Amino acid sequence: MAESGGLTSPAFTGADDIRRRLDELDYLVDDGTAAALFFALSLGRPLLLEGEPGVGKTTAAKALARALATPLIRLQCYEGLTAGEALYEWNYQRQMLAIRLAEARHDRLNDADLFTEDFLQERPILQAVRHRGPQPPVLLIDEIDRADDEFEALLFEFLGEASITIPELGTFTAERRPVVVLTSNRSRDLHDALRRRCLYHWIDFPAPERVVEILRRTVPGANEALIRSATDFVGRIRRFDLDKAPGMAETIDWVSALSSLGATELVREDVLRTLSTVAKTLDDREVITAALDQLT
Amino acid sequence: MLPGVDRAAFAASLAARLRRRGVPVGLTGVDDFLRAIDVAQPRTLPELYWTARITLVRRHSEIALFDEAFAEIFEATGPALDPHARRRPLARKNGADDAFAPLPDARAGGDDAGGLPWTTLPAVVAGAEDSDGPARVPELSPSDVEALGDVPFEQLDERECELLGGWLEEAAASWPTRRSRRFRVSWKGRGIAVRATLTRSRRTGWEPFRLAGKEPVVRPRRVVMLCDVSQSMRAQASAYLHLMRALTMTVDAEVFAFGTTLTRLTPVLASRSAAAAVELATERVTDRFGGTRIATNVRALLSSHHGAKVRGAIVLVGSDGWDGDPPEELGAAMARLSRRAHQVIWMNPRAAAPGFEPRVASMAAALPYCDLMLPAHTFGSLRDVIGAVAGSRFRW
Repeated sequence: MAESGGLTSPAFTGADDIRRRLDELDYLVDDGTAAALFFALSLGRPLLLEGEPGVGKTTAAKALARALATPLIRLQCYEGLTAGEALYEWNYQRQMLAIRLAEARHDRLNDADLFTEDFLQERPILQAVRHRGPQPPVLLIDEIDRADDEFEALLFEFLGEASITIPELGTFTAERRPVVVLTSNRSRDLHDALRRRCLYHWIDFPAPERVVEILRRTVPGANEALIRSATDFVGRIRRFDLDKAPGMAETIDWVSALSSLGATELVREDVLRTLSTVAKTLDDREVITAALDQLT
Repeated sequence: MLPGVDRAAFAASLAARLRRRGVPVGLTGVDDFLRAIDVAQPRTLPELYWTARITLVRRHSEIALFDEAFAEIFEATGPALDPHARRRPLARKNGADDAFAPLPDARAGGDDAGGLPWTTLPAVVAGAEDSDGPARVPELSPSDVEALGDVPFEQLDERECELLGGWLEEAAASWPTRRSRRFRVSWKGRGIAVRATLTRSRRTGWEPFRLAGKEPVVRPRRVVMLCDVSQSMRAQASAYLHLMRALTMTVDAEVFAFGTTLTRLTPVLASRSAAAAVELATERVTDRFGGTRIATNVRALLSSHHGAKVRGAIVLVGSDGWDGDPPEELGAAMARLSRRAHQVIWMNPRAAAPGFEPRVASMAAALPYCDLMLPAHTFGSLRDVIGAVAGSRFRW
């Protein structure tokens, strides 16, 4: 079944292999994420990633593309996204020009002459389907929950069969099934029909040891003691009632900011100066400042 | 793992087991699972766990159920706990272990709310006491003590539901709208719809005589309703449930009930039969007719992943404003709510009483952040609420 999925040679031998390869690219994954990526590749199914903001959903797709050494095609979703921006669009201006030119040259022009691939503008999904290369591309459909429900229906043919039908031209089917990663922040409930077509993985906020490991890799200049105490601090303030609990991305920003100040341990002044990297609202700022006295 | 096991039978029985537990495993999932086992033979239990979870589970809310079922099968933990037993703690005897529980004698003794822990309310509804019907508001103290619902919600009457639905549909024509990012072809529109122009020019020998315009599509605004189901709101809870059900069925709405905790009722109330809807709601809302924590629950809504649904929506809060949380917390939570929402409308059953003044500290704290405060003490007054949501230009 993996062969019919389109992968000519298995890119990875197993979940551990994926983890090792992503590890080399400084992207650390847990067992679950590694298994999810592996099955998405080996079964040729789209993967739906959910999780809190800043937990590394988008980065997972980027790292996967780098590990596979293929281009990453990204489709950022927003409300009002239509087929014209996601799948394909005809180049109407060029068609109009062709008509004018044909008139000037006294040529005869048919419908079929206007709807050829010359006049077709590829958008991310069609681009992924028509990609030619030794490895299929990674298509990242980012924050699918931001698009409206009408858009989900547009995706079904592509997610199910990896093909796109253009009425004027016919159906394009991918030579090799693209690796599709969808991410969602759960701001809207996705339709069951979409979920059915995807494998699902929920990325949890990493455990403290893994956070330390990730920080060591991403902020190489940071002091070991600083990383440990920052991890501990973030772990504790995540338990508070915050508007926006700091995710992995914020933690990395924060430790980078602290280490650029030359901090070797958590000092109240340094924390206050770099608070803007972790506290993203005024209320959170107050809560964290109030908590600082007890924590450090 | 799984040497000499009939994998198809194994997968099917695992799926059946999960389905019984409430994880809706589809055939696609089972197929994926089998293929995944084929691709990578799981060697350890965690590997099998991840393989099964990624292929069979499709929703975050199902993960806990899946974990339970998985543990039950593979870790032989003995008979599992009854999920119902876990959701509802054992009923406590009234007043046996807490000083702040709603006092039954306060209800029996009329509107006297003496001996209350921190808030004493003025007898604002004394005049309403003699009028019969659902307008009667029992005088009770606010508290943040969780009480357990042994009293079910009153049944929803089919006829009244239809009535509400009818009012909503009447008002739908002038429902507040927002501009969406989608466009549609329109001759009046200001932008040029190139595709439509070109299609049309085919009729005139590819000469675009008339330009087709495009204009943004307007969408009705979403309504988010928060309904207080604490003891003091018991008389109105049923009518508000009516309204919430009518909203979910007629317009784009997201509804929540709260006492001491927040419960999302949108999927439950969308059920076709009113009786089934109310039964499910009773089962879901375990903290009904107890204390109130408005501030905590507004905050919980805003920070949950449903918080984004408040953005640009019309928020209806149905509560008498008796809050177990400190008023300044409610003020802060309401400020956040009003910043995110398009309009905040507070439905207060007490506001109908003559000479009503929002003198309860928490109501006074919340009021600056409400665009409207409406009396909603009877079923009939809900009609005015619907009218108010539809906007000032709307007339019945």
